[in-house]
Amino acid sequence: MTLWLMAGLLFTPLAWAVLTLLTDFVWGRRVTWVGILVQVFVSLGLWLTVAQNGGFYYDLGGWGAPLGIELRVDGLAVTFVLLTAAVASACGLHAGVYIDRHKSWHRYFWPLFWFLWSGLNAVWLGGDLFNLYVGLELISLSAVGLVALGGNANALRASIRYLLAALLGSLAYLLGVALIYGQFGTLSIAGVVLWLDSHSASAGPGLALALMVTGLALKTALFPLHRWLPPAHGIAKSPVSALLSALVVKASFYIAARLWLAFGESLGNQAAAQAVGFMGSAAVIWGSWLACKQVQLKQVVAYSSVAQIGYLFLLFPLTYSVSDSISLQAQQGITLQVISHALAKAAMFLAAGNLILSVGSSRVDALAGVSRFLPFSLFSFGLAGVSLMSLPPSGGFAAKWLLLQASLGSGQWWWALVLLAGGLLSAAYLFRIYRASFAEIPETDQFFHPSKSLEVIPMVLALMALGLGFVSEQVLSVMALPFAEEGAP
Amino acid sequence: MMVAEPGLAVLAVCLPLLYPVMALRANWHRAMCFALPLLPLPAFFLAVSSDSGWQLELPWLLNGGLWAMDDLRRLFLLLTAVLWTVAGVYAVGYLALPHMRRFCVCWGLTLAGNLGLTMAVDIGSFYSFFALMTFAGYGLIVHEGTKEAHYAGRVYMAMAVLGEMSILAGLLLAASAADSQLLTDLPTALARAPQRDLIVALLIAGFGVKAGLPLLHFWLPLAHPVAPTPASAVLSGAMIKAGLLGWLVTLPFGEVALSGWGASMVIAGAVGAIGAAILGVLQHRPKAVLAYSSISQMGLMVLMLGAALADPERAPVLFSVIGLYALHHGLAKGSLFLSAGVSLPAGRMGQVVTWILIALPGLSLAGLPFTSGALAKLAMKAGLAEDSLDFALAGYLPPLMTAGAIATLLLVLRYLWTLSAKLETGHNPPMLLAGWLAAVTASLIAFWWMPWDVAGLVKAPVWLPASYQVWALVWPMLISLALAGLALLVNQKRSSARS
Amino acid sequence: MTLEQWLPVFALMISLAASLVIFALPETGYVRRTSVNLGAAVLKLVVVIVMVWGVFHGVNYGVSFTMLPGVTFVLRADALSMMFAGLSAVLWLLTTIYAVGYLEDSPNRRRFFGFFSLCVASTMGIALAGNLFTFFLFYEMLTLSTYPLVVHRGTEKALRAGRTYLIYTLTGGAVLLFAIAWLHSLAGDLSFRDGGHFVDADPDIHRSLILIFILLVAGLGVKAALFPLHGWLPQAMVAPAPVSALLHAVAVVKAGAFGIVRVVYDVYGVEASSALGLLAPLSWLAAFTILYASTRALWQVDLKRRLAFSTISQVSYIILGIALAGPLAAVGGLVHLLHQGIMKITLFFCAGNYAETLGIHRIDEMDGAGQRMPGTSVAFTIGAFGMIGAPPLAGFITKWVMGSGALAVNMDWVILVLVGSSLLNAAYFLPIVHRLWFREVKGAWPEERHWGRLETSPWLFWPPLLTAVVTVVIGVLASLPFSPLSWAELIVLREYAP
Repeated sequence: MTLWLMAGLLFTPLAWAVLTLLTDFVWGRRVTWVGILVQVFVSLGLWLTVAQNGGFYYDLGGWGAPLGIELRVDGLAVTFVLLTAAVASACGLHAGVYIDRHKSWHRYFWPLFWFLWSGLNAVWLGGDLFNLYVGLELISLSAVGLVALGGNANALRASIRYLLAALLGSLAYLLGVALIYGQFGTLSIAGVVLWLDSHSASAGPGLALALMVTGLALKTALFPLHRWLPPAHGIAKSPVSALLSALVVKASFYIAARLWLAFGESLGNQAAAQAVGFMGSAAVIWGSWLACKQVQLKQVVAYSSVAQIGYLFLLFPLTYSVSDSISLQAQQGITLQVISHALAKAAMFLAAGNLILSVGSSRVDALAGVSRFLPFSLFSFGLAGVSLMSLPPSGGFAAKWLLLQASLGSGQWWWALVLLAGGLLSAAYLFRIYRASFAEIPETDQFFHPSKSLEVIPMVLALMALGLGFVSEQVLSVMALPFAEEGAP
Repeated sequence: MMVAEPGLAVLAVCLPLLYPVMALRANWHRAMCFALPLLPLPAFFLAVSSDSGWQLELPWLLNGGLWAMDDLRRLFLLLTAVLWTVAGVYAVGYLALPHMRRFCVCWGLTLAGNLGLTMAVDIGSFYSFFALMTFAGYGLIVHEGTKEAHYAGRVYMAMAVLGEMSILAGLLLAASAADSQLLTDLPTALARAPQRDLIVALLIAGFGVKAGLPLLHFWLPLAHPVAPTPASAVLSGAMIKAGLLGWLVTLPFGEVALSGWGASMVIAGAVGAIGAAILGVLQHRPKAVLAYSSISQMGLMVLMLGAALADPERAPVLFSVIGLYALHHGLAKGSLFLSAGVSLPAGRMGQVVTWILIALPGLSLAGLPFTSGALAKLAMKAGLAEDSLDFALAGYLPPLMTAGAIATLLLVLRYLWTLSAKLETGHNPPMLLAGWLAAVTASLIAFWWMPWDVAGLVKAPVWLPASYQVWALVWPMLISLALAGLALLVNQKRSSARS
Repeated sequence: MTLEQWLPVFALMISLAASLVIFALPETGYVRRTSVNLGAAVLKLVVVIVMVWGVFHGVNYGVSFTMLPGVTFVLRADALSMMFAGLSAVLWLLTTIYAVGYLEDSPNRRRFFGFFSLCVASTMGIALAGNLFTFFLFYEMLTLSTYPLVVHRGTEKALRAGRTYLIYTLTGGAVLLFAIAWLHSLAGDLSFRDGGHFVDADPDIHRSLILIFILLVAGLGVKAALFPLHGWLPQAMVAPAPVSALLHAVAVVKAGAFGIVRVVYDVYGVEASSALGLLAPLSWLAAFTILYASTRALWQVDLKRRLAFSTISQVSYIILGIALAGPLAAVGGLVHLLHQGIMKITLFFCAGNYAETLGIHRIDEMDGAGQRMPGTSVAFTIGAFGMIGAPPLAGFITKWVMGSGALAVNMDWVILVLVGSSLLNAAYFLPIVHRLWFREVKGAWPEERHWGRLETSPWLFWPPLLTAVVTVVIGVLASLPFSPLSWAELIVLREYAP
């Protein structure tokens, strides 16, 4: 049973990718519908298995660590698998309607989409450093391809820039992996942890960790390494932007977080943790500030991603040399932040796409009067914004609450100020958009109405982001399930 | 009868309160106007037919309501009911103006407040009725809508609001000192309260605005001339007395000797009685003269009040005198005000009769023998008799009273003089005439059947002053007649010199 | 779940569901929209009445579940919640009726009514919240759902006002969140409890408690428009009249004041807050706000702006009453929560009627409006006198009880504040009343509309008249059971003898 689930998660997406490579856009869409159905069921199945029995290690094909493919299937991983299923299906369904099927190169959307999904699952479940690298590369390359689908010169320029950043990041990460392997002779994270527990640390692995985290931070677009993100996310097609912002950047962060939680206590130090935290804070402030200044709707949303990603890096200081309960609070907070940001940002990009489609311009001030004609998409945008502003009862609020508790509990109150300021700044750039949409200018009565299915999808995502706050306890409880240790190396 | 009286009391207050509701129907204003004299009738019956001593508990009202009747309140209720009835009759003939509906509503509200406050015993409803009367009274004053009326209204309102606030603060402090919501508990508690002087000051000032205490009187001479005549009559006859009643029911009479406050009140009364006369004789408009006359008369009552404050033993006696004086002054002043609006008939005989009827209430104010004024003046004299008062200023009171009497007559003469220049020959609307005649009758004749009490002060038959008393009443009148004659001569000389 | 658990949820869900249904209905289906709206409002009123009856007889309504690790979501009905819930239920019904008439033939009605219901759902949540966390949840929801109402007109001025509104309220919300989180990390998940939690708090945390209290009051004070955090309110006056009515009379400002009451009573406890020395400064601040805002009101020429400053002043009465730390004064403050709501909504309805029927916005245009619109003007007059505190209207009851309460705890200076405020109120309301009734009409009205027999549309005519009657009735019959005064006494009784 588990074998089928694992295979379903990791390899069927590859199969869909190959299949869609052979077909045109319309057939690709049909294949994708089937694929989405399968993926959603498989993801749910795995989630249920873990929810009932707890997490476990799984050696794919029977080859375990140190050389084989080792999968770590715990609550966090399956939660993200499920999240991916939700967001990717939404984006896929939306893209099927949204993307113009008459342009020939658009048919490559489907294979790229499936490669991306497969890579994401690989990252969530990966238990060793090299497999994580493979998954990461798969993600990066397909993401670059998706950006390039935009077709025009700007899109190409942005995708090249993205590619360079991604490669540089991968290089740094790979260097770190090599150092670790040289030092410990294993690539399994769990193996390294075992080794570290019994030996005192030296400077080498610390450098490796720093390299890996830096590389991943570049891929996650942490300030000041964020410059590649806004053009790429802003210029891509809306469903692509949604995928990129919601999931792709999270993958590299996920690896960084896993590494930090595993090695941070022994390899990291206070100054490094605080430094990362400060970079995260700077991202929050600077990203929000720049979002306020943008004239293009999707640029606002893209810079908002820069800011929201900043919150994630508060994980580093809030889990370093603090009590277990506070560390747990911080981890839970960050997890919720990842989930709620993924849902909300996807909803927001999709809704923004609808809005742009209907007013025929991507400028913020072109939205005047749209609240009269397109309230549904605007409403989705607004609900997603509630989560981004981390206002209750959204998942974003739950995340912020936990992070506030963690920062106050650990005595690092300055992060609390960052959290609050970030919330206010996000309100500043989001309400700029609402404000524009409420303006009544009599001449703007010409609107294109997108089809209902385009409008429903972002709404579903936004409602999920909003409702997350009410079920956070349940979501977090799956993560806290006992971990079956017998499969561990 | 014990069941009927509370019912009648509620009816007396609620009937005028129907007017704002009736006003919602646009075409009922004629009916409302004709019903004006009917509004105070339940109150009139209540005052005439019932004895004092009933109580009506209304526990759901405000902070717990209690309405009741005693002799003093009955007298004030009667005065209020009679005056508003005759003024109402008069108003039916007088009113032919735009905004009749508005006037009727204000009239009803003011009346309800004025009637209610005489019966209310709990602080909440007393203050409510008082405020209702104050605020609705504004509508009567500015009704004519002239610039002058608006100015008078503004002054009235500013002072009234200040007064209300002073009362509010005073009552709050007093109620908290007494830990009770009933007026009847206030005097006892006040006598012992640590903040006694502050409370007394606040209450005196607050009610003093209504009662025309010197320096708090500015609105009176402005408001009376500009208000419609029936409104001036009730303003001066009844509403001004509400301030007096307010003092009587809140201040600690009979509990403790407040000689300081007594002296201040006596001084204030003297300044009011004489100062108002000096200012009054300089006025050119008849109703302004009457307004000053009211201030002057209130000064005399304040004089008695001061004595009562200073001497707790004498307070009960003085209370009945003040009640009597208020009744007398209210009725007489009411008829004087109403006379300002009548026209002289064409015939010679009719003119003479009219002039006599105009002059008689005025002379009654001045204490003309065989009038209510004579009785009131004598009772006041007896009440303030030096040897029965335990008060430092007692010796100054008789000359002050004499001066007050002179001032009264001078003002009446001045009124008649200014009126003679203004009265025109013409036809009186029947209702107007009826109202005025009823007022004069009430003042001159019906007064003698009213339930005032002068037991032990003036011997019966009260309308026949003893011979030594006649002289006491008459010589001040002679002095003022002489003064008036002098003024007339001077005036004639001046006018002949000018021509 | 039992009925005791269901009712609060149900009360909350009614307006929420109404809001969703309204959003789902098409813009043109106004008959359906109106029936949904009115039906929901009536239903909610019935539910609230049932709950009021239950709470009076000691039934514990409540439901809770864990939302986050260590944090519960609690809905609970006690006497204080029912006071606010009752106010919001009654005024929601009236305001809905009014708004239907007011927005006749104007665009974006679906959006308006949808957010309107959402806003009411938030107030319901605020009323029923059983701990600070839940309170905050709905407090922020209120901010969000009122923004679209403030900017409803979509004019430049409205948008600017909306921005000011947000800057104030969201910053306040952030401060509040910080304080709540701090308190949570200090003392855990505190549900509201009569008598509070900190009666014998560890002296070590006194400093933190004081700081948290200041932050809490600052955060809540924004909505309660405490000086100097009141700047948003006069600007928000650009909103349509029903919104001003609801915002000012019920939802936003009251939410802030209600929150302060909750903090003082049910989180800290009166005893503890006064032992920490927190209440005296709060009372000075409230007293200053009362006088300051009334003074500012004198200079306003726009009717609604004058009313807005009056609101700022009046809401501080509630806080003053609480801060005096005496049972009787607290009754005065709490009862004003209802009294001010009813009176102020009357005034705003009337202001809306003048604007909608005659096109009058400025006070100097109001000359003689009483002859053209007697019903509305009667209501306005009653509301204005109520605000001044003229007996026997609702405002007088507040002043009297609060004054007595202040004297009972030897705070005599409060009398000066009450008197001063009444004088100022008189100074800015009486000239309006004078203009209404005793000035002659200047000429043609700016934009007159006719409705036949009544002076204005029946939807607009009856609500203010009704609230005016209520203003008189709750004043005159203040001592009846279930009157606002009696209910406030019940609350205070339970607080002081838990």
